[in-house]
Amino acid sequence: MKFTQRYLGVATIVTLVATIVLGLWVTPPATQAQGGDLARLLYIHPAIAWVALYVSFGTTTVASALYLWRRTRSMVMDRIAYCAMEVSVVYIILTLITGSIWGRPTWGVWWAWDARLTSTAILLVLALGYLALRRANDDPEIRARRSAVFGILIALNVPVIHYSVLWWKTLHQGPTLLTPGQIAVHGSMLWTMLLSFFAFTFQFFWLLRARYRVEEQATQARGIEQADAIAARQREGA
Amino acid sequence: MNYVIAGYAFTFGGTALYAAVIWWQGRRGRH
Repeated sequence: MKFTQRYLGVATIVTLVATIVLGLWVTPPATQAQGGDLARLLYIHPAIAWVALYVSFGTTTVASALYLWRRTRSMVMDRIAYCAMEVSVVYIILTLITGSIWGRPTWGVWWAWDARLTSTAILLVLALGYLALRRANDDPEIRARRSAVFGILIALNVPVIHYSVLWWKTLHQGPTLLTPGQIAVHGSMLWTMLLSFFAFTFQFFWLLRARYRVEEQATQARGIEQADAIAARQREGA
Repeated sequence: MNYVIAGYAFTFGGTALYAAVIWWQGRRGRH
C-alpha cells in the first residue's frame, strides 16, 4: 500500500510540475479573441472542475451505493465515501475561485447568478451539509446509512451542473473539449490541458489515500478509547 | 497575467494547504 502511495505521489508531483511549466511558460498565449494569457487558466480550471464534479462525486456515489448494497456493505466503503466528499469540497471551492478569477476580466464581474455557477455553489452547500450530517449521529451504522443515501441524492446535482450550459442561457461557455463534432483546443494547448486532467486526477487519489489513512487511524483510536472506557466502568463495578 | 498567477496560486496553494492539514492530522493521530 505504501508502495502505491509513493508512486501515486511521484506521478502527482511530476505531472503537476509539468502542467505548471507547460501552462505558464511553454504553451503560446491564445489569440486575443480566445482570452490571450487568460487562456492559461484553462490548464487548471476545467481539470479541477472535472475532479470536483466527476471523479470525487463518482467515488462518493459508487462507495455509497456499495455501502447500501447488502453484499458489499462495509465501513471501508463508508470511509471512502466520506473522505472523497471532504476532498471534493476542496476542489469545488477551488473550481469556484478559479472560475471567479476567469470571470472578472472576461465578464467584468467576480460572480454572476448564472445557471452553471449557481448550481456549482449549491453543490458546495450540499457537500458541506453532508459533512455536517456525519457529525449529527455517533452511531457508526446509522451515520453511514444516512450519509450514503444523502451522498447519492447530492450526486443528482452533478448532471444538472454538466448540462446547465446547454439547458439554460449562461455566461459560462459551453463544453471546451467535449463540443459535439469538434475539438475546440489544439496543439500544445490541447496536450497541456489533457495532462492537467491526469495531474489533478492523480492528486485527488493521492489526497484521498492519505485522508483515508488518517480516518482509519482515527477510527482505531476511537475504538481503543471506547474499549478503555468500558474496561474502566467494569473495574468500577467490580 | 496577474489573474493567471492568482488562479495558479490559489489552486496549488489551496491543495498544498489541505495536504499539510492531512499530514498534520496523521502526525497528531500517531502520538
